[in-house]
Amino acid sequence: MDINAISTQIDLDIQGVHSSEGLEEFRLKYLGRKGVIAELTSTIPSLSKDERAAFGQQVNSLKNRLLALVEDKQKTLSVQSENTTYTSFDIGMPGIAQGLGHLHPVTQITDEICSIFSRLGFSIVDGPEIETEYNNFTGLNIPLEHPSREAFDTFYLKNYAKLLLRSHTSPVQVRAMQERKPPLAIVVPGRVYRPDAVDAAHSFMFHQIEGFMVDEGIKFSDLKGVLEKFAKAVFGKAINMRFRPHFFPFTEPSAEVDISCIICKGKGCSVCGRKGWLEILGSGMIHPHVFKHVGIDAKKYTGFAFGLGVERIAMLKYGINDIRLFFENDLRFLKQF
Amino acid sequence: MKITYNWLKDFVDIKIPAQELAAKLTMAGLEVVALEEKAGDFVLEIEITPNRPDWLSVLGVAREIAAITNTKLKIQNPKGKARSAKGNFKIEIEDKKDCPLYSARIIRNVRVAPSPEWLRKRLELIGCRSVNNVVDITNYVLFELGEPLHAFDLDKLSQDKIIVRRAKDSEKLLAIDEEERNLKSKVLVIADRNRPVAIAGVMGGKETEVTTSTRNVLLEAAIFDPVVVRRGRQALGLQSEASYRFERGIDFAMVEKASARAAQLIQEICGGEDILFLSSGLTKPKEIRVDLDTAYVAKILGVNIARAKIKQILCGLGFKVRQKSKEVFKVGVPSFRQDVKLQVDLIEEVARVFGYDNIPASLPAVKPAITIREKRDLVSAIKAILVGLGVSEVATYSLLDKAVLNNLGLNLAKPIEILNPLSQDQEILRPTLIPGLGRAVSFNINQKQDYVSIFEIGNIFLGETKPREELVLGLALSGTNSFLLEQGLVKDEAGLLNLKGTLETIFLRLGIQGYEFNNQGALNCAIRIQNEKIGLMLRLSPKALEGLSIKNREVFALEVSLDKLFSFIRPGKKFTPLPKYPGITRDISFVLKDDLSVKDILLALNQKGKPLLSDIRITDYYKGKQIPAGFRGLTLSCFYSSNERTLTEKEIQPVQDLLCETLMQTFGVKMR
Repeated sequence: MDINAISTQIDLDIQGVHSSEGLEEFRLKYLGRKGVIAELTSTIPSLSKDERAAFGQQVNSLKNRLLALVEDKQKTLSVQSENTTYTSFDIGMPGIAQGLGHLHPVTQITDEICSIFSRLGFSIVDGPEIETEYNNFTGLNIPLEHPSREAFDTFYLKNYAKLLLRSHTSPVQVRAMQERKPPLAIVVPGRVYRPDAVDAAHSFMFHQIEGFMVDEGIKFSDLKGVLEKFAKAVFGKAINMRFRPHFFPFTEPSAEVDISCIICKGKGCSVCGRKGWLEILGSGMIHPHVFKHVGIDAKKYTGFAFGLGVERIAMLKYGINDIRLFFENDLRFLKQF
Repeated sequence: MKITYNWLKDFVDIKIPAQELAAKLTMAGLEVVALEEKAGDFVLEIEITPNRPDWLSVLGVAREIAAITNTKLKIQNPKGKARSAKGNFKIEIEDKKDCPLYSARIIRNVRVAPSPEWLRKRLELIGCRSVNNVVDITNYVLFELGEPLHAFDLDKLSQDKIIVRRAKDSEKLLAIDEEERNLKSKVLVIADRNRPVAIAGVMGGKETEVTTSTRNVLLEAAIFDPVVVRRGRQALGLQSEASYRFERGIDFAMVEKASARAAQLIQEICGGEDILFLSSGLTKPKEIRVDLDTAYVAKILGVNIARAKIKQILCGLGFKVRQKSKEVFKVGVPSFRQDVKLQVDLIEEVARVFGYDNIPASLPAVKPAITIREKRDLVSAIKAILVGLGVSEVATYSLLDKAVLNNLGLNLAKPIEILNPLSQDQEILRPTLIPGLGRAVSFNINQKQDYVSIFEIGNIFLGETKPREELVLGLALSGTNSFLLEQGLVKDEAGLLNLKGTLETIFLRLGIQGYEFNNQGALNCAIRIQNEKIGLMLRLSPKALEGLSIKNREVFALEVSLDKLFSFIRPGKKFTPLPKYPGITRDISFVLKDDLSVKDILLALNQKGKPLLSDIRITDYYKGKQIPAGFRGLTLSCFYSSNERTLTEKEIQPVQDLLCETLMQTFGVKMR
């Protein structure tokens, strides 16, 4: 057989291949067990010694050319076939995946705030929801019979004398300061309870985060610095802040912290009551009486403390207008977060 | 508290407009919550914190304005003096703790009439109704000086004495609000010889009030114990401008001044002669002195304020400041500042007037403690798993009504009750999360949700000798979850196995071993780890569903104690070397009676298959046309492997035969 003629035929044949079936046919014709190459190879032993080497080489190079051709054709065919087989695919159809659940917005805000303070070096500590009257009031310098207690109306337990549902997370200050020694930098998230009539702005149960720091040389300016870092991390760098003198029995000096209204940017709107400012937390330098109650030397140590309502922060941040939504657990609400 | 701009101007020259004044007051701690222009004046509504009774008056706010605008307070001393004529009139105070000071002024021949225009207008601007000139004057002085006064019609009293005493349990009093009150020994009263005539510090009596027919007046100015007034008004459910101020504390020095001021106004407006002033009680308390170390001011505030500035601020607020040493001031506290007892109280005053805005912000050097927060981290990990599995987190109330528990049909210990609930749904502390979750499911079913899959992690409350809180995970499922796959819509009806699978995923992630689920009847299943019960799963009973107003839907729930679960977490994972030799998988399909437990079968086969059988699992499960009723079809996949060699078919055939034999003989299955 004439190698050159075969070679020309190969070129013709490969041009006629347009499908993988055609390519397989081509491959079998030339490279199959009974194909042309096999046939040519089988003739080798019948050749004279001189002819064998040269012919063998020709067959071999032909075989290599065929292998290369098949491979090339395969590549072009597979590109073509992708284009033809999947042209009808509609990526507009819904994707397939296990749908995710949603974390409650209170959890998300709590985690966000705790993680900010964590990064500032604060530890996260929990405390019980059932508290003693002492830890909730007396230990925090809140007199039992004074109008300053009115902000902390409280649920008491039946059959357990002087036990109550904590009306704020501050009692954990008392616990932590009794159990640990300064330096302390602690945040406490948790549920609190107050017998308030429920409406869009009030709930008898809500969540607070308490934070405090006690060491030698802690100053009011540190309180300002830490809370500024916090507020800007939560509400963005563009906000303005102000510290307003206020009264809390467990801090002196005390301050309420306002941020410029995130809705109207301080111009005054219905959310901020036309004031341009939103109150976000209460704070101050820990009162010497609180230190005295927990046995910390107020001459040596100073500290600051602050407390905020998680739902309030979530309401401001997400624009939620009714606190009851947090506890109604409507999935259409929860799935937005 | 409402106050007007013009009234303030009686006491201090204000050179700034009302808007600016309001802003300055807010930043000094007197938060102005509303400012309204009205009848040629401005009405400021100020929120006064409970520690500052001295601000509950025009004078007090004016003093603050003088301090923050650095001007002088205009003090007006009332003119005229009562003749302290000796009479046979006496003041008797039963207990001077209840009433440290009582004064009575007798003014005769007054003409009671409507108030003049200016007086009526001032009172009405701040929301106080005008009654008559005498009553209006007592109110006017209350708002101006902060000392509550009361005027009695002298001729309706027994005229020989005034007694300040506790009420007797059987006594009654018709107050000026026209309501008759049953008095108790908690309540302090003003009485004459015969009967109580006023609730001390709270409200006067109807019978002795000043009316247009009144000719002679007894004007009371006194101090009553804050706690006694508080208990009294709480017991009677009564609140007044007077009690509001008495509860917060009255300036001892103001009693006589206010009485004189009222007397002066009465003489000016109503005529009459001021003929007698009597007072009884304790002597004026000694001035409190507090040392203020100026270095400590800087230490607390983080800013150096010049000593001269500190002195100027405190003097402006009415403190007497003397130099004790170079660094230390001796500060005399005025009688109207009962809230100032400590050095830090003075520091707050300095900071307030200096301006919180003028204190810089700094960052403290934090010395982080070693944080122990494993529990919180584990809770976060569980939440992340559940959210990944498509379960959403809810937050339900920790307080519940009793009724919902009774319907649940669980054996629960007696829950902790709330002493003072506001409503029925706050009767008890939840001893389980399941009712709250059930309500959330019910709510969402009503919102037409086909599939509800929710969890909560929170405390339950157990009423033992001491109340105990336990952290638990609760999960509830209801309805049909649909997945749109390429072959079309696939529906998965929620059931106990979904709960089981979810929990097993958590166990796997936390490395919990030796857990099992045990049926306890048709509705209920116990969850145990190493034989300790940590929780339960259940299908809510028809009664429970009815209690939750759920119709035509099943609800499945579980509750697991995380405190118990976490105690089974063992630290450290160990690597198991990967198999060196490939294994062989062989399937067995058979039909099994419904009342036999797969758990028992797997246990038995695992035993029989040792040591070559290294894993056995259920890979298919079906019920349907080809399977007779009361039976189910199962396919088990058996995996054989060895660490020493590649196994041959020949080797495993006898084991596989043994497994099939066991299945048939012990469990009576039919091979398929």
